[in-house]
Amino acid sequence: MTRQYEVVYIFDSALEEAAVNERLTRFNALIQQDGVEAPQMNHWGKRTLAYPIKKHETGYYVVAKFDAEAAALPEFERAIKLDDGVLRFLVVVNEGAQPVPVTAGKSDEEDDE
Amino acid sequence: MRRPQKTCAICESGVRVVDFKDERTLSRFLTERGKILPSRLSGTCARHQRQLSTAIKRARQLALLPYIKGFAG
Repeated sequence: MTRQYEVVYIFDSALEEAAVNERLTRFNALIQQDGVEAPQMNHWGKRTLAYPIKKHETGYYVVAKFDAEAAALPEFERAIKLDDGVLRFLVVVNEGAQPVPVTAGKSDEEDDE
Repeated sequence: MRRPQKTCAICESGVRVVDFKDERTLSRFLTERGKILPSRLSGTCARHQRQLSTAIKRARQLALLPYIKGFAG
C-alpha cells in the first residue's frame, strides 16, 4: 500500500551542497519505484538549531515529499540512521494535503464559511 | 459568571491541518518558557489543540522549537 510521506532531514552544515545532493539521491533510490514521480525536494538551507544537536549549532534542512510503499520504509530509515552526515531526520505520514476527489466542473475553493 | 467564549485563532485563519514546519505560527501557542499553552488560555478549539500539540512536539524533535527556552545548558 502506498502512502504519501514527508521527511525532514537535518544535515551537518559543514557538508557541501554536492555531498548533500549525493546523499539525497542515494536515499531516494531506496524508496523509488516504477511509475511514481520523483520526490519533491525543498531545500531550506542553513538554519540555526533551537538547541545543539551532536554539538552542532546549525544544520542544513531539506524537506521531501514522496509516495512510497510502507514496506520500503524500514530499510530507508536504516540507511539514514547509518549516515553520519545526517544530524537528525523525521518521517511522517503527510496529512497536509489530502487527495481531494475531483468533482466534475466544480472547484472546491468556495467552502470558506 | 461565565467569561465570553474565546474564538479559535487557527479556525479563524482558515487552516485545516496545523503544519509542524511552520514554527512562527506554532510559537504563538507557547509560553515564554517554551511550554504548550493550554487551550483555556489560548482559546483554541479541541481539534486544533490536539493538532497543535503533536505539531509542536514534532517541531521540537527537529530543533525548530526549543524544549525549554532561556535555559543555558
